[in-house]
Amino acid sequence: MTKISKGRPFLEVFSAAMKENYRFPILEIFAFLYAFGTFIFAGLGATVAQSSEIFAHGLVNTLTGIPVFILLILIWANVAYGLGSDIEKGTIQTVLSYPLKRRTVLTAKLLSALGVSLLLFLGIQLFALFLLTPEITREYFGTIALTYAANLSSSLLMAGIVLLIALVLKRGGLALVVGIVLYFALSIISSMVMFLVWTGTDLPFKAFALIYPNMALGRYYSGLESSPFGVSGLWTPSFSEALSYIGASYVIVALIFLLCYVYFDRRLGT
Amino acid sequence: MSLIVADDLAKSYGKVVAVDGLSLRVEQGNIMGLIGPNGAGKTTTIKIILGMLKQDRGKVRVFDQDPWNNPYIRHRIGVIYERAYFPAHHQVHDYLKRVCRIFGKPESRALEVLTLTRLEDAHDRNIKALSAGMLQKFAVAHAIIHEPSLIVADEPTANLDPEARSDLLDLILELHKKEKTTFLISSHILPELSRICESVAIMNKGKVWASGNFEELSSKLGAKATRVSTDKPGTLADELKKLEYVNRVEADGRGVTVAVNSGEEEKLYEDVPKIAKRIEAKIAGIESGTASLESFSDLQSNLAAKEKAGNDKNF
Repeated sequence: MTKISKGRPFLEVFSAAMKENYRFPILEIFAFLYAFGTFIFAGLGATVAQSSEIFAHGLVNTLTGIPVFILLILIWANVAYGLGSDIEKGTIQTVLSYPLKRRTVLTAKLLSALGVSLLLFLGIQLFALFLLTPEITREYFGTIALTYAANLSSSLLMAGIVLLIALVLKRGGLALVVGIVLYFALSIISSMVMFLVWTGTDLPFKAFALIYPNMALGRYYSGLESSPFGVSGLWTPSFSEALSYIGASYVIVALIFLLCYVYFDRRLGT
Repeated sequence: MSLIVADDLAKSYGKVVAVDGLSLRVEQGNIMGLIGPNGAGKTTTIKIILGMLKQDRGKVRVFDQDPWNNPYIRHRIGVIYERAYFPAHHQVHDYLKRVCRIFGKPESRALEVLTLTRLEDAHDRNIKALSAGMLQKFAVAHAIIHEPSLIVADEPTANLDPEARSDLLDLILELHKKEKTTFLISSHILPELSRICESVAIMNKGKVWASGNFEELSSKLGAKATRVSTDKPGTLADELKKLEYVNRVEADGRGVTVAVNSGEEEKLYEDVPKIAKRIEAKIAGIESGTASLESFSDLQSNLAAKEKAGNDKNF
């Protein structure tokens, strides 16, 4: 048997997926939307923050608002209409006829669908931060990284769910619809949970923070400042608790993706 | 040497049994046909052989390896599917060059296979702009680009017009002659397989009903038919259907085509004049072997008759 590199087929599948996912002008449009979404809201940053660390957290929250939604759209499109459509139409059969393990094929496809979108998003966001507040960005880079981590886990979770649905149902379009419904359902639940917090019921908030850990991180930073609008008695996690919520949310994300890998590797009948 | 060995394979999708105790061997250098009606389990069998599906039961070895656990044997296997799907936004030549890199072949091979499959004119076209026939040719180019020693094709001609079908079959024969490539080709079109295959396995309901050399199998199944020219084809056909050893009778305007169990043609020669006398029909002639099986349904009806007669164990 010819002995050839195992890395080369992986790179070729990855590059083919890139070419399909980001054909001109998709990447250019999304890069513009990221940049536009980032800079248009930059001026509304957390100007009333009492410390630079809280300011850094607030600024990241402001900058990520619209671009995270744009990121989600791009990831969904890549997962549902890229990988999902490959499975639905049968293009995946062609890729699976190459000398590659199934999990390697999925990794190459996900690296294109998720990895490149994330890199583009983070690249533009960090560029904006260094441009707008270079000193705070340098000094509080840990806080900034943590806020991004807390902000992105829910998007990755939803991407994982859409992927799982696309794999199981072999219907990219349906997976996308479920993803959109889920997104709006979670938004509604999030509002209800916030309302319950004000009535003194913390448990739904804590449970929801496992999916949206930025809620826990936000409560932690809110607890650091003495706001005239603050309400005593609201749950305020410690820093380690907030970290645990972020960690737990990524464990959930990892489990969903693990499920996708197991399904793709062992169960997917092409 | 057997390139493919499948023993007692079984695969179900929920309650639907797709493959049920299938055993198969494909010898090196052979063109083997896998024939059966839709739903016979051909595609599932092929997917198991390619390592795309895992069987519920049984053992399969391709190049003496388990295809499910060894994707690297695909360096030696080319695949052609019934419907070829490729990344739509790649250009024909560009994508083939990419496949060359995947299999560690020089990029110049892409142009070679385009020439071989007569796709030179489509060189710069987007894959999505190819017609069904061209797409199937592209699938062949894609399957042979790494010079595999085994090509597995699942209904490769199903979506092609007669001319494109003929071209594709010629191409398969050419490859077989030039490269000594082994083929496993599934189809439900018997004449197609009879044109190119040296051996055949007949599948139905997830099992191989019969397998072997094409000629031998035809003879075993009573594939040759007898043509009786008469002025009362309808009445004669009705009478012939009553005979136990007759498998199939088809009447047309000028006569009757009759298929009987192998070795029982003599009985037919004796019985036809007697029946004709009884129904007052004129017999213009009786010719043996003038018609052959034209479709899977012929084979199926013969097999069913054999099974009914309890003779199928002889296969």
